[in-house]
Amino acid sequence: MTTLRTRWILFAGLAVVVIASYLITVHFRTTASPATQAAFDYLETLPESSVVVFSFDHEASSLPEIKPISLAMLRHAFQKNLKIVGLSLFAEGTAIGYSLLRKTAGEYGKVYGEDYIFLGFKPQYISAILGMGESIRRVFPQDYLGNVTDTFSIMRDVEDYNDIEMVISIADGDRTVQWIEYAGPRYNQKVMAGLTAAMITSYDPYLSSRQLYAVVGGLRGAAEYETLLGKRGGGNRGMLAQSSAHIYVIALVLIGNIIYFRNRKRRGRG
Amino acid sequence: MRTRIPLLVCLVSGIIMFAQYFSSHPIAKTVYNGILEWWQIIFAFTMFVGVAAFIRNSLKNMRRKGEAPYRVAALVGLTLMPLLALIGGTKFGSPFLWAFDNMIAPMQSTVFSLLAFFVVSASFRGFRARTIPATILLLTALIVLIGRIPIAELISESFPKLTFWIQSYPSMAARRAILIGIGLGSMTTALRVILGIERTYLRGE
Amino acid sequence: MDIGVLTAGILTLAIYSFLYKDNPVYKMAESWLIGLSIGYALVIFWQTTIIDILIVPLFKDGRVVLVIPFALGLLMFSRFSRGSSWLSRIPIAFMIGAGAGVAIPAMLYARTLKQMSASVMPLITENGGFNIEALVVAVGLLSTLAYFYFSREHKGPIGKTAKLGTYFLMIFFGATFGYTVMSRMSTFVGRVDFLLTDFLHVIR
Repeated sequence: MTTLRTRWILFAGLAVVVIASYLITVHFRTTASPATQAAFDYLETLPESSVVVFSFDHEASSLPEIKPISLAMLRHAFQKNLKIVGLSLFAEGTAIGYSLLRKTAGEYGKVYGEDYIFLGFKPQYISAILGMGESIRRVFPQDYLGNVTDTFSIMRDVEDYNDIEMVISIADGDRTVQWIEYAGPRYNQKVMAGLTAAMITSYDPYLSSRQLYAVVGGLRGAAEYETLLGKRGGGNRGMLAQSSAHIYVIALVLIGNIIYFRNRKRRGRG
Repeated sequence: MRTRIPLLVCLVSGIIMFAQYFSSHPIAKTVYNGILEWWQIIFAFTMFVGVAAFIRNSLKNMRRKGEAPYRVAALVGLTLMPLLALIGGTKFGSPFLWAFDNMIAPMQSTVFSLLAFFVVSASFRGFRARTIPATILLLTALIVLIGRIPIAELISESFPKLTFWIQSYPSMAARRAILIGIGLGSMTTALRVILGIERTYLRGE
Repeated sequence: MDIGVLTAGILTLAIYSFLYKDNPVYKMAESWLIGLSIGYALVIFWQTTIIDILIVPLFKDGRVVLVIPFALGLLMFSRFSRGSSWLSRIPIAFMIGAGAGVAIPAMLYARTLKQMSASVMPLITENGGFNIEALVVAVGLLSTLAYFYFSREHKGPIGKTAKLGTYFLMIFFGATFGYTVMSRMSTFVGRVDFLLTDFLHVIR
């Protein structure tokens, strides 16, 4: 019973800390990490009408973290008048990607089929990634809504990876690894990622070897990107709550260790 | 025959997909594209097999005491989504996307967010500096936790710098070693699979 | 209040009821979620794969060759029949073989050679300074690889190097733990944002 009660107290503590932080409005200065800065600078300097692929390679479970990243990067791409080809290698990313693209395209008055398109989902990611290197239209003969891909002006000059400047994989797992390992060496495709924080360390070797161009990681990465873009959103809004939750965890780790060492000392004496 | 045919199919498809890497002949390209297309189609069927197995298990377990309402809820949910897609399609504003946005997405992210509470509980109970490796692990975690919050930047800019240094060099080096190990392991396993030495995938009919 | 937000809010609270203890409300929401998710995936797979790259090309464009993957796909269902379940091994073998074939060059180049070459950095920089980072990466990589080298007993120099490798591994696990905590907290922060802003309208 005591264990269960301790658990409830710990749970309630987290809820109180996060909710209380949310009720306070504080604007933080979030300095961009080198990886986020690289991602921003790349999109910033791309010439207008360059084609970028946004691949929504994630599930709905990571949406609170992934959505602010996607929104910030999509807004930046539309603001710079880049052409966006959206797709998904995760079934759940399909509905999310389509909705986010529609939402951000609406904000910038972009036209479907001309400025952006959503090709939908294809299973078996390796065959989809390799297939796109040969012909994107062959892998996606129709878009998400069932229209023939060829009929859209945006796809007229897009045959394969040679016509894609960058693949931006928004992922909560290792799908970006497949983009790096299959589209990278064989087709020389540049890859950039928007990742959940939990995945950041797994991608560090690829970032270091330059197989991965840049990473926007976690809610913090989204906040950094929003700051660079000058548009506050979900990332910045959550920063105080995020900070408070971190401090709460740090405090618990320290308290837990103090109790442990005190008990060990007592047992030693006994 | 039950083993030889699958082994032969595996050998042929494996050799073709490996060999095409070294050829840009039109015939090689055609075969390569064909296999990629077939692979996707066959893979899609595995999803339907999974759904069929789920329905079968749900119906079977319905007889268990107290299970019926939950199984019925799952089966109704399973039927509802295709029905909604049939009625209103899957475009923006359709009932199908409404159900995804207002039921699947919030529930999935909430289930995932439960982990935040269990992480808190685990941090308090299990994260102890008992040994030198455990202390290194704990200190690194604390540095990262402090270094990635904006408040730390206000105190000192060294916190994020130290975090990035750890992440970019010692942590990255260990991860790279794991990655190289996985790479070598994957290559040898792939070779064993193609040559029919590794046959575990043939088990469990 | 918008009916969608209301639905999402109620379902969110139903899931959070698990934090108190396992209960019928949570179990019902969980089952509902499982059913909906499978139903959703079914629609997406049907629409974007079966229709797009099988039914339309086969029956509308007359690409008869697609009968083969169609038949192989159908063989997967033989798993439900005890006598002919071995037939499902054929499409599985096809997929595994293809995956293994493309994996060899990808793993060799992208995961092994590229990573090894990226680890070779000059220890002395252009201006004559010592590159401590290059040394850390080299020592970290080699000692961690030594830890995973099981062909010889971890004694003597190999044992000491492997032990050093465990310290580097602990740094990696610690950093990953830190980022994982960050990730999980972000997910919870996101749900609190929804509950306080859209559902309860406490924040505007």
